[in-house]
Amino acid sequence: MSAANVISILSSKKARTMTQTSQTADEWADLLEAVARRQDTKAFEALFKHFAPLIKAFALSSGLHSQGDHLPEELVQDVMLAIWRKSASYDRRKAAPSTWIFTIARNQRIDMLRRLNKYRADVSADAIWDLESDTELFGEIRQSRIQDKVKAGLYELPVDQRQVMAKVFLEDKSHQEVADEMKLPLGTVKSRVRLAMKKMKLSLEALDL
Amino acid sequence: MSQWHPQPDQLVEFAAGTCHTGMSVAISVHLHYCPQCRAALSELESTSAVLFEQQAAVPVKDSAFDQLMQRIQQEPATKPEPTPVLSNRFPKALATLLPASLDELDWRQPMKNLRVSHLMTDESGMIIGLHHMKAGGRVPNHYHRGEEISVVLEGGFSDQLGSYGAGDFIMRTPSDTHSPRADAHEDCLMLSVVAAPVKLTGALGWLLNPFLKP
Repeated sequence: MSAANVISILSSKKARTMTQTSQTADEWADLLEAVARRQDTKAFEALFKHFAPLIKAFALSSGLHSQGDHLPEELVQDVMLAIWRKSASYDRRKAAPSTWIFTIARNQRIDMLRRLNKYRADVSADAIWDLESDTELFGEIRQSRIQDKVKAGLYELPVDQRQVMAKVFLEDKSHQEVADEMKLPLGTVKSRVRLAMKKMKLSLEALDL
Repeated sequence: MSQWHPQPDQLVEFAAGTCHTGMSVAISVHLHYCPQCRAALSELESTSAVLFEQQAAVPVKDSAFDQLMQRIQQEPATKPEPTPVLSNRFPKALATLLPASLDELDWRQPMKNLRVSHLMTDESGMIIGLHHMKAGGRVPNHYHRGEEISVVLEGGFSDQLGSYGAGDFIMRTPSDTHSPRADAHEDCLMLSVVAAPVKLTGALGWLLNPFLKP
């Protein structure tokens, strides 16, 4: 799936309605806890129904299918299996459910790409992008607040910024690769991301020392 | 708290998982020491999660869920990765690359004040290693053919551009030359990620090409 698809979804009215009627973060967290505590397959199936098609879209957006038709479905399996096995380490006070699931999908994709490229990894993605390292309580409240800001802010962004955001954050492309693909200077890609973050009132620019 | 940080766009690539392993390890080590960058990362991951959830869903195969449940029942749970011996002393991303003791590493001593050890070469050719400077020791002026990232692990050092302590993330580009000196009271241990062997500018430069084969 291309960024253009993502964009069309982001801007469509339907997407807004979908967001409003979709389950809340609290409900996803309840389901994850049910899986962790009781190996609740009904709860797991509900999570699967919502997240599996998103994981597949994520796999397609990063071009996994070009290395093998079966790979997007395989990534879905790997990520959902990891969610099942790691559910006990999910802590709703620390992370919003969708952020937690995104980080698992990202880590599994990194490990899969390394296997495909026959790169012997001395260090697993989970060791580098350590899911359990951030011990900050109330991270979930902060993450939910950020997610709300981003949801509201994305619709207000100019198309060029939204497009770059989708490519840089989801499509497994570095800034340089996005610049090459869009025939833009590297600095333009970086500044569009920064501008977008700023418009969504995220504090990333505070780090710009 | 750390005073020197990765650039925002480097954190963006880390959050998206698109930077090379050397850079990822360096940023991961820095994050261990830096609550400010951890907060920024959490923002970026939350942003990614929103974009992720707003993708156009692509249906999976009808049999996918049953297949997964079968796999869950049949496949033995993978054993958790063993906790690296040095994980009390170093951040996890680095500790997994280390043996039980730093003495077991193959240290080379190109000069009296500096010892270097090679840990791995990543998929982009970046060399991940440890640098150890003797307390008060100065390394001759040198520049780099490619980018060099250093993250201070223990002790501290200073050069023409500043002074650095635990967790500081220092990036040098090919145009920078510097001659770092370790703090007087304590040895300095650093994670080093370099694109290519360093080239020395001084007369004794040939003595100190730590990553060039002798």
